[in-house]
Amino acid sequence: MKSTNGLKRKTIGDYLIPAFLIIWGIIVLFPFFSVVVISFTSETEYIKTPLLLFPTEPTLESYKRIFEDGRIVSGYLTTFKLLAMSLPLSLFLTISFAYGMSRKDFPGRRFIFYFVLIAMIFDGGIIPLYMLMKDLHLVPNHLWAVVLANTVSTFYMILMHNFFKSLPDSLMESARIDGAGEWRILAKIVLPLSAPVIATITLFYTVDRWNEWFNPMIFLQKGYLQPLQLVLRSIVIDAQMDMVKSDMDTIELASNFAMGVKTAAIICTMLPVMLFFPFLQKHFVKGIMVGAVK
Amino acid sequence: MNVSFSERTQTHKFRILLTSIWKYRMVYTLLAPGLIWYIVFVYGPMGGLSLAFKSYTASGGIWGSPWAGLVNFKYIFLDQAFMRSVVRTLEINLGRIVFQFPMAIVIALLLNEVLFLKMKKSLQTILTFPHFLSWVVLSSVLITVLSYDGFVNGIIRAFGFKSFNFLGNEPIFVPMLYITEIWKNSGWGAIIYLAAISGIDAEQYEAAAIDGVNRFQRIFHITLPSIMPTIIVMFILTMGGLMSTGFDQIFNLSNDAVREAAETLDMYIYKISFQSAPDFSYSTAVSLFRSVINMAFLLLADRIAKLAGKEGLMG
Repeated sequence: MKSTNGLKRKTIGDYLIPAFLIIWGIIVLFPFFSVVVISFTSETEYIKTPLLLFPTEPTLESYKRIFEDGRIVSGYLTTFKLLAMSLPLSLFLTISFAYGMSRKDFPGRRFIFYFVLIAMIFDGGIIPLYMLMKDLHLVPNHLWAVVLANTVSTFYMILMHNFFKSLPDSLMESARIDGAGEWRILAKIVLPLSAPVIATITLFYTVDRWNEWFNPMIFLQKGYLQPLQLVLRSIVIDAQMDMVKSDMDTIELASNFAMGVKTAAIICTMLPVMLFFPFLQKHFVKGIMVGAVK
Repeated sequence: MNVSFSERTQTHKFRILLTSIWKYRMVYTLLAPGLIWYIVFVYGPMGGLSLAFKSYTASGGIWGSPWAGLVNFKYIFLDQAFMRSVVRTLEINLGRIVFQFPMAIVIALLLNEVLFLKMKKSLQTILTFPHFLSWVVLSSVLITVLSYDGFVNGIIRAFGFKSFNFLGNEPIFVPMLYITEIWKNSGWGAIIYLAAISGIDAEQYEAAAIDGVNRFQRIFHITLPSIMPTIIVMFILTMGGLMSTGFDQIFNLSNDAVREAAETLDMYIYKISFQSAPDFSYSTAVSLFRSVINMAFLLLADRIAKLAGKEGLMG
């Protein structure tokens, strides 16, 4: 094993530190593991064995219930609708703005820089935003209110901008001499070169949209319009609150296995993140490093 | 003569500006869609902050309501619930700086000491995973695992103790906030420090190894001082959020049993905005007040960092 720290001999710490981190990793992951197990467990087994690690007779009963309930399905539909509406718009606005800002010497550049910087530090808060959406007749119950409230992330825009700035000027300059317009240069030269960055930013936007719940909670009142996160909230948290408060002795499990249905709903909500995360993680890490260490 | 000369140079300058604007007209069309979005959906609501100085009427809306001067700000200081929520927020955030802030650094330092590269990568992946889930999902997971018939209480009972109410217990609600936040975000927070560590010149470590320094000396005399600028920037950013505890975590983890412990400024603003006959002007005034204080803390921390001879946030 080659040492990265210039140390030659292995000391006890070389084993103790990984051991400690592995234990911490198990603690971090265990709650998720437990939730997966409960979602595949039958009610009788769950009540019998409080320290369940593997269900002896795995069952899909809870998942069947959650799909019969229908809310998860409509939640998926809304979340996908939101993604389909917002991703193209977010990318278009972010990329065109970031590329425009990467031109060095147009008049008003400094002004626009501060314009964006201030937007990053201050915001009007939820009430003026709500009233704006109301004036635009997007509230209540238009998905566009949710899409438009967070279309551009200034932080991602700056990441993108830093990447465009790092591209060699000569590429764009020669195209300009050939008479290509900026939009054409963006489409034909810059975009093909920035596929990795665009993929990263798309991932960032997708995860943010997937996890979004506050604006939908404020802007969308109708149940059938709720995205996945709000569906999960209504299935898990609202019902659970009463259990946390009430005394242990008074809890009687509902006739349909409440814990199983809740955990199945949790798994349905986090499934895409769970499945793709190991593959996406390195993109995220690269993205955040570009942003943090200039 | 003089006048007409300066006039002439002025018109000349103006003409140059116009030609250069015309020359870059394509760049402006690139910026236009984004600018329109910023103006409408960021600066529009920011203009709505003027509500803080008005008394809102439904018929007048943001722009038509009459001006009210500083009346709303006067009410802020008369409101006991507001003052309580400010104290609560500061308490929670000072605890965060003591307990939570160092954890990302500790994890980065430990991960850096893992010599098996594959293991280091997998550990990093595992520890960053919860960061990508929302507090809605994470609080649902926690409620399941920490409930009376959940796994953690199963262990506690197996050792012969009584079940413990983790999330409905006022005195331990704030420590639960620290623990769950460390669980969610410290792995992700470590990545920034790891990036800084990777920038340290390997020669320093080699020289130290020849001098025979041990692990602790290496961490405290090379690694930690080298990432100090990053730590300071992160610290300044944390200071800028001293009046915000983050809404998502507390809103999703709290319940009626811990209502008082969870009454932070963010929760207070949510309550006065969306529950029981909201006063829009008043809650906008509270939001504005919070933004200004956060900004002041940010600038103050930046100044102190610079006075201490370190590089601040703005260079």
